[in-house]
Parts: sequence; structure tokens; C-alpha cells
Amino acid sequence: MASTTAGVRRRSALLPQAHAPRAATRPGSRKERRRAGIQGWGFVAPALLIVLGLSIFPAVWAFWLSLQSWDGFSTPTWVGLGNYQAMVTDAALRDAVGHTILYTVLFVPASVLLGMALALLLNRTLPLIGVYRTAIFVPFVASAAATGILTTYLFNPQFGLANTVLRALHLPQQGWLEDPSQAMVVITLMSLWGQAAFTTVIYLAALQDIPVELLEAARIDGANRWQSFWHVTFPQLAPVTVFVTVWQVIGAIQLFDLVYTTTRGGPLDATQTIVYYLWQTAFKSLEFGYASAVAYGLFAVTLVITGGVVLYSRRAKVEAF
Amino acid sequence: MSPQRSPRMRLAALAAATAAISLTVAACSGGSPQGAATFDPEAQTTITWWTGQADQAETILEGLAADFEKLHPNVKVDISSGAPSTDELLQKLSAGFAGGTYPDVSYAYGSWASELQGSKRTLDITDQVAEPDVKWDEFPAAARQTAQPGGGSTIGFPAVVDNLTLIYNTTVFDAAGVDYPTADWTWDDFREAAKKLTDPSTNTYGYGYSVSGSEETTWQFWPHLWQNGGEILSEDQKTATFDSDAGVKGLTLLRDMAVDDKSIYLDQTDTKAAQLFASDRIGMITSGPWTLYDLQTAKTSYGVVPLPGTDGNHESVSGPDLWVLFDHKDANREHWSYELTKWLTSAEQDIRWNVAYGNLPLRTSEVQSPEFLAQVEALPGLDVMAANMVNSKHARPTVKGYVQLSEAVGSAISEVLQGQGEPADALTQAAATATDALGG
Repeated sequence: MASTTAGVRRRSALLPQAHAPRAATRPGSRKERRRAGIQGWGFVAPALLIVLGLSIFPAVWAFWLSLQSWDGFSTPTWVGLGNYQAMVTDAALRDAVGHTILYTVLFVPASVLLGMALALLLNRTLPLIGVYRTAIFVPFVASAAATGILTTYLFNPQFGLANTVLRALHLPQQGWLEDPSQAMVVITLMSLWGQAAFTTVIYLAALQDIPVELLEAARIDGANRWQSFWHVTFPQLAPVTVFVTVWQVIGAIQLFDLVYTTTRGGPLDATQTIVYYLWQTAFKSLEFGYASAVAYGLFAVTLVITGGVVLYSRRAKVEAF
Repeated sequence: MSPQRSPRMRLAALAAATAAISLTVAACSGGSPQGAATFDPEAQTTITWWTGQADQAETILEGLAADFEKLHPNVKVDISSGAPSTDELLQKLSAGFAGGTYPDVSYAYGSWASELQGSKRTLDITDQVAEPDVKWDEFPAAARQTAQPGGGSTIGFPAVVDNLTLIYNTTVFDAAGVDYPTADWTWDDFREAAKKLTDPSTNTYGYGYSVSGSEETTWQFWPHLWQNGGEILSEDQKTATFDSDAGVKGLTLLRDMAVDDKSIYLDQTDTKAAQLFASDRIGMITSGPWTLYDLQTAKTSYGVVPLPGTDGNHESVSGPDLWVLFDHKDANREHWSYELTKWLTSAEQDIRWNVAYGNLPLRTSEVQSPEFLAQVEALPGLDVMAANMVNSKHARPTVKGYVQLSEAVGSAISEVLQGQGEPADALTQAAATATDALGG
């Protein structure tokens, strides 16, 4: 069943090395093998240096920092787990977590459903289908900075297009990005505009992987369009759904760029997300130790979510990863 | 399956990789050779200078560096902006300290002074600047205090000075038929005018105030506090005292304007109010010299007066920036870094730099110079701002913990102006947070 899905195909694409080593395992002298080993390390060394230097080293250093109190200039002082303890009682962090959860709850289901719907609409033979697909994908390519600036123009309460339209329709004016209860919704809308393209493309690829025979067989058995979608297409899409959901959740809890370019965490901290909070703590308040601890807290949460979903999908035999 | 390999082999490879990385890291941090212990006037010396400037400002400073090299042929000034923006200099310096490659002279915002001093890598030039030929007293008091964080070591020279004045848009005033502000306005006059200028039907506001909660929100509030006789910190600089009656009175005025009169445009971004002022949507802003150039470009018709006063006290606030000098344990570099900044901040050179660029002159002695008068022609109001330096009596505190204090005050102001909470409660709460940060 699942052998035709995108998830499994992606996995097998990663496996060509399963065939490659055959040449290297030829019986040879110890010396030869040693030379092959050195050659191998020679090939991976540049990448290894980059990974160690730019990923592993900063990660280890950040953990070290999270056990200290450091403003970036004076001598750090060792506080042990003090930073982690402070996180428990930090009201601002708790608010930031709340805002991030709100955003995730608004954004993830919407982007997955919207992506699936758009993909179904685009997965047919229509004149100019290429144009439509491109049009959907263009916002994804736009940088978050550009999207953010566009958002501030569209949703400016005094001079923005959104309120001009409302005015023309004789509807009450809204505060949008300057109203604490609406700002997160506006940010969700704008990130959907950019991010739905991503889920659409993934679903489109998955839809094109579904064997036509299955749908034909369903039709011959008398299934109508809804039945063939619900009983044939949708189950086939399950692994991709798990994948995009996890992917979008991880993206959502790391929301930073749109907030930075639109509200800077305001109004009244209503859009302060976890990552924005940690950025502000590190680079504005110069509390690098505490910010590192927050970063590690976020890392732990991400790890738990991903691990949980992987375990679940293994048990449920939905191979998404 | 990958080819099996003996554990020893893997260890060796790992060791090789580790060695390679440590070498790279060591090379990056570049242990400089032992510096000269005593000053040798003839020694070939290279000093590094991070200006934090871009475009025209950077070009002017590069020209001055070349002149300095001509005056002292054995000195080479390695000048660069240091970082893509002035804001990013702080991170660059922090990273530079970690890696051991920091400059001899760097531009720095005044608010970084205590952190830079805390790095223990700054020079102390307190004794040198006491020499009469430096004319240290010609610098504004706020700038001198900022260069000497916490009253301890003097870590550099003032680089750029400014202050807040009241800038009014004559187009908006004329349209509403309101008299222009004068130098002896009170805050009541100010509030009344703002109310008259406000017109919801055309989206016109009397005044613009940042509610982003940043230092922009905070420092605009300090003149209100000081004019009412309040202080930010207690004498020993350990307790926040801005929640005094003076502070509450100041914040109540702003709250009444924002919430009751609705005459303040509450700017979430720190930048939009100035743009709206330039396009005739806001009648008054309180800002400094950096705004004038943009107003010229936008062809906005404006006027400049000192801030409104309380009982005749028109105190303003200044945000002086610094040239900070760093210690490399090398007498030659130390000497020439000091000489460069002393030369740069002398009246003769400052006219070629700050005045030529459109900043305020660093020293009172430059105000009558023909160069400055020519700038006033180009940027009307600059003379009022230069004269207003005398109204910057207090310096913003340069203590560790000011950053957190600023954040607490900024949030309190933003909340109150957006109709959440009362001035007294909000300030008391902010003061408690700030006192915590000052003690820790």
C-alpha cells in the first residue's frame, strides 16, 4: 500500500550508498583499506568541518552558555540550572508560549487543509494550468521581509488597503496589526499566503503518485467523487499529511521573521513568539545565557513533537519519515 | 553497510579532524604578538578603527583618517565601518572580544557604555582628558558623563551628540488654524494644540509617540520625568525611582492625550510617526537632528522649538554616542588611538566631520563657525537644536541594568498609552522589575 508514497520514495532516494560500498568492501590488504579510509575522510573532511564548525560547535557552546549568566562582554558567571529554573516562573515567556501555540493552532490546520484543497484543484487538466500553479507558488518564493512590508501596507489601520475596502463597504474599521486581539490573526493570514504554496506543492506531488488504476477501480465499483476521494485518495495522502503537519508545526513554533518585519512583538507583546522573545532576550537585553536556555527549551519541545509523531506513525504504519 | 574499520583508525581520524578544527579556531582568534611596553614615537604602528558609519559619513571619516596618516607618517589607520549597521557593531564587538580581534577605536552608542566598560578591555583616559588642551569641558555634560560610565574610568571621547526638540509641521498647523509653538510653551499649551490639530476624518493627529516599548519609547519620557523634578535612579544607582509623583504626572499627561483626547498617533514601529509627520498627517513630533535631513528630502514645511516646559524648565534628553578606545597592551597603539580621537574631536576636525555631515557640533565653540552657519541655512532648525544642548542637563544612566530598566519602562508606557492600566500602577511595577535588574 504505502510503497508508492512520496515518503517512502524519498527514503529510497537517500539509499544509493547501499550499493556504492560494494566496490570498497573488496577483500584487500590492511594497508589498502587504510588508504581507502584516509581517502574517505579526505572527502568528508570539508563537509565535516562545516558541520562541526557551524552546527555542532555553536550548539554545544549555546548549551554551555545556557548554564551561565553572560551579557556578551563581562566575565560570565556560572549559574548551573538557574536559567532553566527562571524559565518556569517567567511570565513573559509563558505569554510567548501562549502566543506561539495560538499561532500554531491557527496556522497548521489551515495551511494543511488549504494546501490539500488547492492541490486537488490544481491536479487536473485545465487550460493554463501551469500559470495557475506558478501563481500559487510565487508567494512562497517571496522573502518574509517582503511579505512583512507588504502586510504593514495592507493592514495599516489608517491608510491600509484592508480598511479602505471596509470603508467602501460601510463596515467598521479594524485595528488589524495594531489591535492586540487581531494582530496574530493577521500574521497567520499573511504566513498562510506564503506558506500554503509549500503544502500545495507537496500534495500535488503526492496526488500525482496515486496510481490511476485505483481511482478507476473505485469508479467501476460505483464510487462517486466524494467516495473516491475519501476512501481512495485521502488514505493515500496520509503519510504526506503527517509529514507536512510535522513540518508546519516545527515551522510555526519557530515563527520569527514575519513578526520581526511587521509588529516587532507588539502591540502590547501580543505577537511575541518564543523565538522572537529569545532573540530579544539575547540581542536586545544582552542576556545570552538565559536566551540560550530558552533556545534549548524550544529544542527539547521540537524534539519531543517530532519524536512523538515518528513513533506514532510507525505504530500506525503510516510511513511519513 | 559501510566498510568496517578498526576503532583505532576512527579515533585517529577523529583526532585529525579535531586538530584541524582547533588549528582553524586558533588561526581565527589570531594571538597578536606581544605589544610594546613603552611608547616609541618613531615605531611603525597600525591602529584599527570601526566607524559604525555608512555612505557619506564613512567617506568623510576615511578622508580624515588619510589626513591623520599624512600628519603622522609612521601610523597607519585601518579604517572600516566595522559592521553593516551601527546596531550590529555591538554584536561584532562582543564576537571580537571572544576571538581576540577587536579594534583600537570603535563607534558605540552611549547605551552600550557600561557593557563595554564591563568587558575590561577599554582604556582609561581620565587623566589624559584632564589636560587643558583637550578642552574636555567644551563637550556637553551629558556626553562627558556617558563617556565615564558609572563615574569610573573614561572609556573614550564623545562622537555624536543630539537632543530632543519639538518639531512642528506648519502645513498641519495652518490647516487647523492653530498658532505655532513658541519657545516658552507649557505642556498644557502642547496638549491643547494637539487636540485642536487632531481630525479623525482626515486621519490627522496632533502628536506622534512610539509605543513599540523600545528605548525610543523610554527616552522620550525622561524629559517629562526630569522637568517634574523626578530622577530615574536613586543616589546610589541601585533603586529605580522613576515611579515617583513626577513620573506619574508625566505619564498621566501622555495617557490623557492618548486615551481621552485621542490626539496621539501611537506608533508601533519607531519609524512611522516621522514618515506621517513628513507627509503632513501629524502636527508635532519630538525628535532630533537626524530627522531634519528627511524632512528636507520630503520638502516638509516645518519649524523647531525647544521642548515645552514645566514651570519654565525646558529640560530635554540627549543620546550621546562615543568613540570608545580599547586596550591591546601595546603602548604605541594606545598612544595613537588616543591621539587620533583627540584630533578627530577637536573643534577644527569636528567642523569637517559632524558639522559637514549635518550632525550637531560636538563643542560649544563651533556654533559660531561659518561652516555651521552654512549648515543651518541648509537645515533650518539645526541652530535651535545646537542651542538646546544646554537643556540636556541629565545624562541617561550608564549603569549595568539600564537595558532592562528601559525595557520595563517602555512596556509600562506602551500599555498605559494603549488604554491598559493606570500610570501609577504601571510605573510602580516597572520600577520593581528595574530595581531587580539593577541589583542583579
